[in-house]
Formats: sequence, C-alpha cells, structure tokens
Amino acid sequence: MPKLSIWTTLPIAVILACVVLPTLGAQTAPPRTSAKSVDDIKIDKWNSLPLHGSDYRGVTSGPAPKRDLSGIWDATGDRVGGAPGGIQINGVNEHRSVLPGNSAPTGGEPNERNIPNPLPYTPLGEATLETHKPTGQGVRAVPSALGNDPVNICDPPGFPRMEFSEFRNLEIEQLSDHVLILNQNYRTWRTVWTDGRELPTDPEPRWYGYSVGKWVDDCTFVVQTVGLNDNTWLDNQGRPHSSDLRVEERFHRVDYDHMELTVTINDPKMYTQPWQGLKTFPLRRQPRGFDIREIYCSPSDFAEYREDVGESAPSDK
Amino acid sequence: MRRSKLVLIFLLAVGFLTVSRPVSAHHGAASFDNSRTVTVEGTVTEFLWTNPRVHLKVDAKDENGNIQHWVFEAQSVVNQANAGWTNTMFKPGDHVLVDATPAKSGRLVGLFRSRIVINGREFKRLEEAP
Repeated sequence: MPKLSIWTTLPIAVILACVVLPTLGAQTAPPRTSAKSVDDIKIDKWNSLPLHGSDYRGVTSGPAPKRDLSGIWDATGDRVGGAPGGIQINGVNEHRSVLPGNSAPTGGEPNERNIPNPLPYTPLGEATLETHKPTGQGVRAVPSALGNDPVNICDPPGFPRMEFSEFRNLEIEQLSDHVLILNQNYRTWRTVWTDGRELPTDPEPRWYGYSVGKWVDDCTFVVQTVGLNDNTWLDNQGRPHSSDLRVEERFHRVDYDHMELTVTINDPKMYTQPWQGLKTFPLRRQPRGFDIREIYCSPSDFAEYREDVGESAPSDK
Repeated sequence: MRRSKLVLIFLLAVGFLTVSRPVSAHHGAASFDNSRTVTVEGTVTEFLWTNPRVHLKVDAKDENGNIQHWVFEAQSVVNQANAGWTNTMFKPGDHVLVDATPAKSGRLVGLFRSRIVINGREFKRLEEAP
C-alpha cells in the first residue's frame, strides 16, 4: 500500500475540490436568471402572451421525442427581426405581395406580377384572383367598403388559410387513431386520421376538408387534405383555389421545442404547378399551462365596428 | 445618375420611412392620411375591446364648444393584447389625449399613433423584444 504523503494526498484533494466545490457553489448561489427549459419561463396564467425569441436565450432544448407533435405551439414569431411571422397580412410567407420592408413594388401598375415570387396561375387562376378584392394591405388591397374578403363577414377562413393568415397559436394532441389540431383563430379544430384510412374520393366539400396523416420517419408527420369547398381564399391577398385542391403538410419536429412546417399547394385548375406557401416555417413550443387567447369573429361585433367608423360609405377613391 | 441607382435610393427612402412608422399606422392604410397627425382631447364614452378592431369613442369639444364624436381605431384584440393593452385600460368618463392619423374622408375617425394619455398618465405600450 503506498504511503500516504503530502504528495499523494494534496493532488487528490485538489481534484476532489475542483469536482465538489462547484456543485456546492451552485446549490447556494443565487438562482440563474436564464431558464433552462421552456417550461421554466414565466407566463401569464390566462390569455398567455406567446414567447419572444429572446425568451429562449439560455434554454437548452432536448431532442425531438419520437412520433410526437403534441404541445402548444406558436407561429406568431417576432415582428421585429427574428423568425418570420404567421400573421401574414401581405399574403402567404413564401409569396408575399410586397417587397421586404412593407413597401409596394415599383415599376408601374401594382399587380401580382411585380412581386417577389409570383405564383404560377392558370388563366382561370388569374381570372378568379381578379374577382377577389382584399382589404388592408398588399398590392391588391382596396378600401374596406369595396372589398369582398369573406372573413370580413366572419365566414370561416377554412384550410389552408388557417395556416396562411393569422397563424398564431395552435395545440396538437395525439390520440390512438387521430391527431387533433386546435387553432386559435376562429377557435376551430381539424381531425387528421391516422388509422390508415384512404382519403375519400369525390367527397362532399367541407370548409376544413378531410385529412389523413402518417409518420414518414420518427420526426416527420405528413398530412394530406382534400375535399375543401371553394368558398374560401388561400390567404389575405385573395389567392384562389378550387375544390380540386390537395394540400400536403409536413410537420418536422426538429427538437423538443421546435417544429418546422412545410405546406404544399396542388391545384391544377388554378396553378400550373404545385407551390409552397410555407417552407420549413418555424413553430415554437410554449410553456406548459399556456392559456390560448380567444380570437373570434363575431358578426355583431363586426357590424357594430363598421357602423362606428362609418364604413357603409366608401372613404376614399 | 443611372436609373437603377435612382430606383435603389427611392426604395431605401421608402423602406426607411415605412420602418420608422408606428405599427398601428400600417393597418388599413388606404383610408387614412398618413401625412397628418391630429391631437384630440376629450372624454371616453365607450371602449370596444372587440374584433375586427379595438376602438375607442371620445367626445371632444371643437373651437366653438360643440361636441365632436371621435372614434379611434387600433388593431385586433390579439394585436392590442400583445402590445400591452387591456380591456379595462379605458373607462367611460376617463379624460384622454390621443394622437391619431385622421381619415382621408374628413370623418371623425383616426388611427391611434403612439401617444395616449389617460387621466394625465401616458400609456406605454409593450416594446417588442429585439
């Protein structure tokens, strides 16, 4: 047995001190200001505000759970820099109808062709687009009194406008044979069947269509939707779709707190080729206990607003 | 100067002017005169915390002492909540001073700008995190 001398005990003591003392220090030091987990971030109990990008500083996200999208997610993003926003007042993200910086494009008459990433319309697509008069912003916007956006009379935005406009909070719950996607806007839900059933052929059209989904790998869930009625617009700029529209969503869980959504539009009647409205669009997990604020379109509230601001008469030419 | 340079300078100028505008000014811009600001002082008669636009009704006196019925618009409930507004921040009878972008039509309707003073206290909106 080696003799215990200062030359053996001292290095051992130093090593032990380096290991033990920091942990002791951590127990008695003041609590860290940066949260380790998203669930440590303080939020209001009711009508919770979605987190900003800066709230995630210091957060370590665990790996993506296998085949699990469940949670409360936010698509709002940060309006000042940071992640692209889900509100999309200028039209769907990949095909916004204004230049970056919110200005109308230059170069003559503002129209769909003078925007970055114009869409591949068929002649019917262009003709249908012309009949849609959006209000608010974007190159196609008209004064409120002249618009005909169906959501302005509280018609359902339907799908995929639900993700192409006012895309904010959503809750995803997985059950044994279907996935529920609950949307904040209009307080509505979608059912995605995972029991292996085929999509219906020639179904009765619905506002939110018919959806089936499956996992293509442990982190990617792909949803197909058909049977969408043609009463809805695709986005705030009035992009059209027919009832032949097929939508594919790819939900890719990147890690425990982050998901990316890609949405592909396939409607040969209106567009000469498929296109993506959202491409790896970021969704951020919100802390447990996040209470989703209600966003609702009340016809009586809308009518009262229009009367209050005198919108029955056109306000400018 | 080459045309492309002129276009670039124009775009930069427009971009700068746009970015420096308060958020509330961009909504439904077509009906409002963004080159002007009106300041109205008066008494709250009603505060509507509703969609599509949160809006405030204020009675103010003009130079002749006549009551003017103003309506000031913000954005949707969720947008206002994100900016730190609450459904109880204005009450009937409150004395307010509001800067607003007026409607082009001359109607007594305006978009809220940054300055809102409620019973003598300036209201500070939540700043967006960088």
